[in-house]
Amino acid sequence: MALVSGPGRAGGTSSDQELHILKHVTYIKNLDTRKEELEYWLTEHLRLNGVYWGLTALHLLGHPDALPREETIDFVLSCQKENGGFGAAPGHDAHMLYTVSAVQILVTIDAVDELEKRGRGGKQRVGSFIASMQNNEDGSFMGDQWGETDTRFLYGALNALSLLGLLDMVDLPKAVSYVQSCENFDGAYGVTPGAESHSGQVFTCVGALAIAGRLDLVNRDRLGAWLSERQIDKGGFNGRPEKLPDACYAWWVGSSLAMIDRLHWIDGKKLASFVLQCQDPEAGGFADRPGNMVDVYHTHFGIAGLSLLGVEGLQEVDPIYCMPKAVIARCFAR
Amino acid sequence: MAEGYANDTEWANVTPIELDDGSESGAMPLATIAYPPEYLEATSYLRAVMAANEMSERALKLTKDVISMNPAHYTVWIYRARILFALDKDLVEELNWLNGVSLKYLKNYQIWHHRQVLVSSRTHFPTMPTKEPDFLMEMFAQDSKNYHVWTYRHWLVRHFKLWDSPREIEDVETLIKADVRNNSAWNHRYMLRFGPRDDEPDAGMVNAGKSQSKPEEKGRLPVVDEDLVDEDLKYAQKQILRAPENRSPWWYARGALHAAGRSLGEWEEFVAKFVEGDEVKSSHAVEWLADVYAEAEKTKAVEMLTMLKDKYDPIRKNYWDYRIRMLGQVA
Repeated sequence: MALVSGPGRAGGTSSDQELHILKHVTYIKNLDTRKEELEYWLTEHLRLNGVYWGLTALHLLGHPDALPREETIDFVLSCQKENGGFGAAPGHDAHMLYTVSAVQILVTIDAVDELEKRGRGGKQRVGSFIASMQNNEDGSFMGDQWGETDTRFLYGALNALSLLGLLDMVDLPKAVSYVQSCENFDGAYGVTPGAESHSGQVFTCVGALAIAGRLDLVNRDRLGAWLSERQIDKGGFNGRPEKLPDACYAWWVGSSLAMIDRLHWIDGKKLASFVLQCQDPEAGGFADRPGNMVDVYHTHFGIAGLSLLGVEGLQEVDPIYCMPKAVIARCFAR
Repeated sequence: MAEGYANDTEWANVTPIELDDGSESGAMPLATIAYPPEYLEATSYLRAVMAANEMSERALKLTKDVISMNPAHYTVWIYRARILFALDKDLVEELNWLNGVSLKYLKNYQIWHHRQVLVSSRTHFPTMPTKEPDFLMEMFAQDSKNYHVWTYRHWLVRHFKLWDSPREIEDVETLIKADVRNNSAWNHRYMLRFGPRDDEPDAGMVNAGKSQSKPEEKGRLPVVDEDLVDEDLKYAQKQILRAPENRSPWWYARGALHAAGRSLGEWEEFVAKFVEGDEVKSSHAVEWLADVYAEAEKTKAVEMLTMLKDKYDPIRKNYWDYRIRMLGQVA
């Protein structure tokens, strides 16, 4: 899935409140035909994430079969390394973020079995790679053997392991206590202990606690107040105080509010209107802000945000996993 | 410079390893990747030296070449750090080179982890590299809210125990003076003044990481320097006067009072000046008064929250309604 931005720009207006579903489907399907462009190889380090974004968006748009299933599985498996983890693209080292995307993609297209059939060492080895990234001292997770720490990696680990039914491979209480140490006085969370509160990191921390069954540890009123304060006059959300609004925060902020049962604290109509203005009604795709170039990342999170708000024509999204609710239900019914 | 490596005698004894994109399995990959020839060639040599775990000057040069074409290539940074340590290279020189790369690629975060890996070597850096603060200020001149840079700076404070270093608070004040709405700088100040120190694991506030601590114990200091708190509260008031609707200093003051175990009521007189008659200068002041009144004067508290709901923050109407309902339950 290419991550090339454009060529379209977000040209939605406040009077056009229609979600152009078919345009977005076409936009995502065509992404892979743009290999001649320079930006295509510059974004190679995100390729597997890109497949997850495009695929999930297509599912939420109600077109789950728009990507060829077999080729998707082949591509995912071609990114797997000997240690069980996945790289961003073939030939890249294994990293937590791509391993999580790989698991999410396989779960979405109901192909986890392929890990046993054609993968390296089955799902157990994927779980081992993820578990090996946990720091036994403080419970945090690294992205790769290099040691970078980020609550995104911790969330990703719990997300993928729970989807694979392997959550017992890690020290869950320690992971929970690490998330708690990232809580700031304003009730929100940062990337590491002491780092400024950031909506994206709030999603990962609250999501991790939700998967661990420890939402009781969240200061819901204080966090809900901070999150709802992210909505600015035009209706969009920013990621931190005094920053510009961005369509993707409809997801990060919205899902966090949903997980703590506070989504009704914001003006959903105004938020939906802002996100819809970030779409390109002609060629499809979403941008961060009206007038900017569209890309698959903002397309996915814009659509996921609209799904949270119950916009008509979209499948329901699960606020914890950022995957279709029906997929999550099927996965956990096993 | 395609075939630059193939024609270079320094690289004659290396057989480049071509990219395995999974296509030999017979499956057409969903996302075949098209590369410009220079990048393709350099990375094929990179794969070869990495496979041989070569720790050499030429490999170091090659990593620089790949980074210059694509600094987001995460694998190459790991390899570069390992070579630097293996060859015992001058890390200050490496930092100087990194400064330029960081200023060129402001959004890249691999660079910052690389920097942290180098600076965390106690052998090379028993104390903070002297030019770090100057360079960080240069970064902040480009983007004073750069999340990666602030996270790195927080790590520096903890690693080198800089909580009371005059330079830290000085830089924070310079940045707040330039932009009073810089929430990142306010967060850094809070961590310097009220964050956990080296006798405790790091956390966003003291006691935050302990599962047994009650909500009110979080952010509450065991030992308080009252003069310092007074000085900080005065500082916050001065910044509030510059921009009353700016959230950061209001929350900073809440944090400072809470850390010291003092009450919001202490500020009632100062805060009331922002809510005189019909002229409300700050919604944060209205909320502050609502919290103060919630203790004993519930009707007045409801009045404040209703003002927020109807006039000053109607976009969060349901939130303010909830706050009003909560007051009723307590009564």
